[in-house]
Amino acid sequence: MTWVVWRQYRNQGYLAAAVLAAFAMLMLITGRQMASDYRSALSQCAASHNCGNLANTLTLGIPWVSLLVTLTVAVPCLLGVFWGGPLLAREFETGTSQFAWTQGISRRRWLTIKVGWAVLAAAAWGGAVSALVTWWSSPQNALEQQNFQPSQFDIQGIVPIGYAVFAVALGIAAGALLRRTLPAMAITLVVFTVVRLVISEDLRSHYLTAVTKTFSFLHPPPLPLGSYWLVSSGLVGPGGLIPSSRSAGAQLGVDGVPINIGALPSACRTLIFQKTLEFPSCLAAHGYHGLVSYQPADRYWAFQGIEAGIFVALAAAFIAVAAIVVLRRDA
Amino acid sequence: MTPAIETRGLSKRYRKVTALNEATIVVPEGRISALIGPNGAGKTTLLRLLAGLARPTSGELAVLGSRPSQDPAFLAGIGFLAQEIPLYRRFSAEDHIRIGAHLNSRWDQDSVRQRLESLGIPLGQRVGTLSGGQRAQLALALTLAKRPRLLLLDEPVAALDPLARRQFLAHLAEAVAGGGLTVVLSSHLIADLERTCDHLILLAASRVQLCGDIDTLLAEHQVLVGPAKDTRAIERDHTLVQAVRTPRQTTLLIRGNGPVIDPAFEASDVGLEELVLGYMGQQAGPAPAHLTAIGGDQ
Repeated sequence: MTWVVWRQYRNQGYLAAAVLAAFAMLMLITGRQMASDYRSALSQCAASHNCGNLANTLTLGIPWVSLLVTLTVAVPCLLGVFWGGPLLAREFETGTSQFAWTQGISRRRWLTIKVGWAVLAAAAWGGAVSALVTWWSSPQNALEQQNFQPSQFDIQGIVPIGYAVFAVALGIAAGALLRRTLPAMAITLVVFTVVRLVISEDLRSHYLTAVTKTFSFLHPPPLPLGSYWLVSSGLVGPGGLIPSSRSAGAQLGVDGVPINIGALPSACRTLIFQKTLEFPSCLAAHGYHGLVSYQPADRYWAFQGIEAGIFVALAAAFIAVAAIVVLRRDA
Repeated sequence: MTPAIETRGLSKRYRKVTALNEATIVVPEGRISALIGPNGAGKTTLLRLLAGLARPTSGELAVLGSRPSQDPAFLAGIGFLAQEIPLYRRFSAEDHIRIGAHLNSRWDQDSVRQRLESLGIPLGQRVGTLSGGQRAQLALALTLAKRPRLLLLDEPVAALDPLARRQFLAHLAEAVAGGGLTVVLSSHLIADLERTCDHLILLAASRVQLCGDIDTLLAEHQVLVGPAKDTRAIERDHTLVQAVRTPRQTTLLIRGNGPVIDPAFEASDVGLEELVLGYMGQQAGPAPAHLTAIGGDQ
């Protein structure tokens, strides 16, 4: 059966391997260049003791290569749409499932091997692209310290493997249920995008309880070093937390903490533009202090692991659905 | 000897539609059975149930002594050819032969190659570019390469021209002559089936109307032609299958071995086509005004 799977998908495999090889070449060449640029910039700034500002002055990488790297966020989705979606749907659509299921091989084995190789291939390709991107981005990561940014987090480390496995499993399940190639591909695209957005926007920041600290405005916010993730920040007044909603009018940044001006005590508002300590002193005197809530940098891999785990679990659920449909339903 | 196929009260219902209703059939081993019925009569459903591709809603069935399943031991005995002749269109015949070799424990690839070469079907060409007749021949050759004990063919010749049809049936007859093979073959083309088959399963309106040896069935039926008159006496002694009455003449298809005493009627033997049409006519739509078709339970 493995030979049959190979025969069926070898052209797609060759194509994907060629694309991957071209991408790897590009990553290796530009990545080495970028790493050496970063090293020489570091040694230059170290000589003049001015490295603190490097992130603002140095731009690494060729723009179109950076754009291409950002676009690898679509790789798992493409694998799901073009490998997962047609895997079973095409067999049903063309009736070849009837040919396959009347050969001397059980339907369970047929499904296990077909799905197994598809999932493995997705994990391998998703993992290979992610490994290249992670390596390529390491100078940028060190410079920008923004590993938790979705534009970095979603294309590096192990989460792309989870996404790829999930996308292919989703495509397979959609194909088993819909039995039509194009609808299965379309549904895969839509459901994958929705699930990814919901998880990254609404769920991700809650994987681990954020570290929350309050501070007097007389001192800078007690934020950690490295690429931490600032989940929320705001102003705590005598009546409790004052939400710093993005839409609520003019905002003022105090040491990077956005503050809704309208929520300030009127006595302090006039002092906003004073350069002295009067404004923060006024806030402190009125019982106001700042609040930051963040995920420390050392939780990066825990977050990668949790998110990858969630997507692998979802993938397992979709594979189970596909298996039930294929084994229980008529050909 | 256990029959190759035995079903009792076999039914298959899809949400609202009953595709097969209480089918009870027996096909002894070594027979070539013609599965005949109008479109939508349940022929494909029956074949798919027998091949284990679909599961019955109710009833019992035994195929080659066991219940159809997804188990390799069962599948090894079955050769199934679906109506649309599904093959991988981008693969060559050679690819299909190798797929078969990987998926079957018993696989006679030399016979397939020989057969295809003798028919002049190119082994290396994409199946999608072959003619319908060539595809059907390839599919049959692949099905036979499994060396099945039961061959289930769903209207394999429907799309073929007369020459391709003849070649296909010759190929089939040759395989059967090898022995140990039971065949169920569905088709609309009664003339083809008459030449090839010795057993009949007649389906109409999702029910089995007739099942048995063709010669026996033909001997059990007769056609009576006589004047337009009361036929209740005949209907008492024989089962009336179909009656066609015009103001001048009555034509009856009856089942039953006894002689017909009424001298007004002339009895004659029935042919397969007449028999089949007689039973299928029971399910026909309303007859023209001057004719009355009366259905009788068999």
